[in-house]
Amino acid sequence: MEKAIFHHPRAKIQDYVPIVGRSTIEELRAIAERLSGKTIQNINSTFTGGGVAEILMRMTPLLNQLGVDAQWTTIKGHKDFFDVTKKFHNALHGRQEDISAEDFSLFLEVNKKNADELKFQGDIFFIHDPQPVALIARKKELEGKWIWRCHIDISNPDKGVWEFVRNFVVDYDAAVFSAPNFSQELPIRQFMISPSIDPLSDKNKELSSETIDSVLNKYGMDKDKPIIAQISRFDYLKDPLGVIQAFEMVRKSIDCQLILAGGTATDDPESEKVLEEIRERASGNPDIHILVIPQESDIEINALQQAATVILQKSIKEGFGLTVAEALWKGKPVVASAVGGIQLQVKNKLTGLLCYSVEGAAYALKRLLSNKEYAAWLGNNGREHVRQNFLITRHLKDYLLLFISLYNPSSDTIYL
Amino acid sequence: MIEWLNKNWLSITVPAIVFLAFFVVAIWARKTLYNYLDRLFVKITWEGSRILLHTTRAPFFQWCLIFGAYTAIQIATLSPHTKALTGRILGSIFFISLIWTVIILTERLLKLCLVKLKASPLLPITLIINVVRIAFAVVCILILLDIWGAPTTPLILLFTIGLLVLILASRNEIVNIFSGLQLAHGDLIKTGDYIKLESGEEGYVSDITWRNIQIKASDGRMLLVPNGKFTKTTVTTYREPFKKATQPFRFYTRLHIKELTGLKAKNLSELVSMLREVPDPVVYYHTHNFIEEYQYLIPQPANEFAVWVGDVIGDEILAEKLSNIDTFEFPSVGELRERIIAVINDGLSTRGDRRTAFEGREFHFIKSVSVVLTTPYIAHDLREFVEALRKVSINSLYFHIFESRLRLHKGINDFSIWLQDNLDERELADKIAALDPYNHTIEGLRSIIIQLIEKRIK
Repeated sequence: MEKAIFHHPRAKIQDYVPIVGRSTIEELRAIAERLSGKTIQNINSTFTGGGVAEILMRMTPLLNQLGVDAQWTTIKGHKDFFDVTKKFHNALHGRQEDISAEDFSLFLEVNKKNADELKFQGDIFFIHDPQPVALIARKKELEGKWIWRCHIDISNPDKGVWEFVRNFVVDYDAAVFSAPNFSQELPIRQFMISPSIDPLSDKNKELSSETIDSVLNKYGMDKDKPIIAQISRFDYLKDPLGVIQAFEMVRKSIDCQLILAGGTATDDPESEKVLEEIRERASGNPDIHILVIPQESDIEINALQQAATVILQKSIKEGFGLTVAEALWKGKPVVASAVGGIQLQVKNKLTGLLCYSVEGAAYALKRLLSNKEYAAWLGNNGREHVRQNFLITRHLKDYLLLFISLYNPSSDTIYL
Repeated sequence: MIEWLNKNWLSITVPAIVFLAFFVVAIWARKTLYNYLDRLFVKITWEGSRILLHTTRAPFFQWCLIFGAYTAIQIATLSPHTKALTGRILGSIFFISLIWTVIILTERLLKLCLVKLKASPLLPITLIINVVRIAFAVVCILILLDIWGAPTTPLILLFTIGLLVLILASRNEIVNIFSGLQLAHGDLIKTGDYIKLESGEEGYVSDITWRNIQIKASDGRMLLVPNGKFTKTTVTTYREPFKKATQPFRFYTRLHIKELTGLKAKNLSELVSMLREVPDPVVYYHTHNFIEEYQYLIPQPANEFAVWVGDVIGDEILAEKLSNIDTFEFPSVGELRERIIAVINDGLSTRGDRRTAFEGREFHFIKSVSVVLTTPYIAHDLREFVEALRKVSINSLYFHIFESRLRLHKGINDFSIWLQDNLDERELADKIAALDPYNHTIEGLRSIIIQLIEKRIK
């Protein structure tokens, strides 16, 4: 068992006042006050890489600043375990995976070991994603409130894997999903909480033009040519090959360049294979830039997003798609697949353009590259949409309300 | 010893007689002089006379004795060195006594004058008295040094530097003091006034001191604004007292979380069938969610049923009819639900259930779970109300305008109820109640209500 230690200086809750207003922060403090004395233990599988770790890295210190005792621990697992959980992840997203009885046994064995060794401490146990879902076995003994937070798109899951996971989920007090169509038939309460981005993080703060230019120079980009960018983990579910195909359609009529940039997560052993495949597909085209961005290079990712003319997120499946919120927050016009949580962020023709195919993506890209005013209007709406609905302050509010609602299960209006 | 006395009796006796003579004269002079002054001051009826007489009576006698001792020593047969030394000692005692008396006298007279000025809150009495004490003490030290032949120039220089440093260090305080005096003189701000500074601070003035003005804000916070700030910024003062409400208005706020019901409809028949079954908070959520979620968009999108029917089912006619349902007409969620069902049924009977939503584009029924909290903002009159209205969150406005009207079955917004019942502001209450909140963004509503109240206040 590992416990999170926050080395970097974090934003103070007061720093968000200029972005969301004083009254929003006052309201957060008022709700948090009602949770004083309660300890919340977040448990997931990794401290680094991927959206979950990123959100917890930001949320936990802010909850503490609000006076809520929030802690974050991870389960331990070896490569074989994470290979299995990756298969689970893909299967829950609806992909066909070959999962053997041994895989299920290994999953249970690692969970049991963690359940035995993990130091549980809290009034509310907040379990993230399927990897540690079986820790619920300790509920009877530890009591407290147990929440399962599902960050992935399980709108069309592999039935076998979902049934396996569901057997654990039903013992929780509540489940939390990122979008309405991820909800399942469950005998427990289900809440919808969208993830969020932190406007003060290195990945989302304002950058100087010098910083942006220096990053473009570092990667050999032509700053005078329009840039289409997809910033995402190298994963089949992000459809990087479809992105290249759409770009090639656009490139026939508009002189532009493509950035496919991303990092890797420690719990995703498949990314190397994907990267190799797209490098091969893009070889020989000087306008396609495949950039492997190391972890802790958030400024570079930010610079690439800010330098982009249009941002694309052509996912096949998506839990939420934090990169879309990041792009919208930067006021960029976005083209994205109408899947999962993306539909909550991109309201077609209001905050961006949705697409359903490679052709649809190419058509939307061409529209935005050729109509700057329309692109700017969408970008501006997108930024306000994120300010209202997808910033970390809204996320904090939802978590605090979730914890409170667990103690008031039968009421639709809770008076505090 | 006797021999020495026989030899020097004259040089002892004469100074002693002189000193005793001074002693007797001092008693007589004090009695005569003070009786005369007593009679004189009774005629001129000056309040400070008692202080003057009382403070100087004892020191006057002491000074006569000091002078007697000095004269006696001067005529005594002592060495010039001894005479000079005792002269310095007596001179020092005299000046210490004199300065001490002057300090006490000044202090007492100052207090008397300041009390008579009746401006004590803004005048730093203690500070003025301390400054006077220090000034006299410095003069005294300089005179003593002069008596004892010590150089005074370095000390004067040191005092001057110290004084400059002090002035420099406390320049803000000095600005505050002078601003306080200016405020007191100009009668610009009084306790009980409602003031508003350009920099944002506002509230009722609860206290005025020589350093700052204490303001009680509408959220209960006490703000201390340095007096100096009042000379640098625009201050709006509302002196006329506002009518106080019988009960103050406490602003609440409402936050909500979305609870998924697990129900989803893929066509109009399923939509209408589920719409009959779902609880009120679900209907409320789908007819109000857009108000908060898209508050930046003007005009805002229609209710979620209309948007889904238009975007996903593609029935633009039905979408238009659903968009046109005026939520403001309905006093309860139940009646609103019936109207939505009737409109969908009408569409089904004329055009049928033609299309099914793609997978992933179904209508998901969501319930809104509200958490209601108190805010620190309380209004006792219209001024406080309008100022709090500027500051409360949009969630608070939403609660008092939308939620309490429909979901909490009050039929009218909270502001109108309070204005009518507690301030007897019937006309203003009616104007706010007549606003259709569904035709405005929340910020737009805030702005309209503030304008209505400001107009009423003027």
